[in-house]
Amino acid sequence: MILLAAILLGILAGLLLARWRKRSWAFPTLGFVWLVFVAFLPQFFAFYLPATRKHIPDSWVSAGLLVSQVLLLVFCWLNRRAPGVWLLALGLSLNFLVIAANGGFMPISPQTAGRLVPQEILQTVPPGSRFGYGKDILLQPKDTRFVWLSDRFLPPENFPYQVAFSLGDVVIATGAFWLMAAQGKPPEKSSSSI
Amino acid sequence: MKTKLANLFLFTQKINRQHVQVALALLAVVMFVLGAGAPDSGGLGGR
Repeated sequence: MILLAAILLGILAGLLLARWRKRSWAFPTLGFVWLVFVAFLPQFFAFYLPATRKHIPDSWVSAGLLVSQVLLLVFCWLNRRAPGVWLLALGLSLNFLVIAANGGFMPISPQTAGRLVPQEILQTVPPGSRFGYGKDILLQPKDTRFVWLSDRFLPPENFPYQVAFSLGDVVIATGAFWLMAAQGKPPEKSSSSI
Repeated sequence: MKTKLANLFLFTQKINRQHVQVALALLAVVMFVLGAGAPDSGGLGGR
């Protein structure tokens, strides 16, 4: 949700910037878009499609997530000249690093998870096992590699939508915002299209 | 009814290749951030 909000805010900022500069806003020109669809497929079946996600073994899910993120990194490299893509790649690399170092899932501590679900539900999830059908795995901070890259950030307690996110997520959101907002600027000499 | 159908036909004619490309690119960006990011809102979803 926070990542989608970054895209929407970026489009809004790009439209305002374009209006202010009296030029039209254009959607960023990206190449090899098909690669994103291919890369997303394993995640779609593993995390989003209810009919399949409960039947896929965790080992396949973690492998699929890693392969998917590698393909997304390739997409970033192929579109490296587009504005903000280097930030997308950086955020993705940070998430990939912590996920790869912790068995193919994003670690989340029981303390952080306790803000997202009631304690009685949390107690049913043994440490080291997946936290729902998402990308997260419940791990104590002492057992987590690159703990500073894990899902450890939370919005204020009175915020209506509670979500745990990582440093990589923040960088990805910034990159997505930049990618959209930069389209309202005058074109630079180096073309963003490949 | 005829007018509505005519309007619908005119609207679909306006959807050109560029619109489809923009829609696909937007979908790709959405998929990218969903695939690259890993925020968790605690959807234990009956697991």
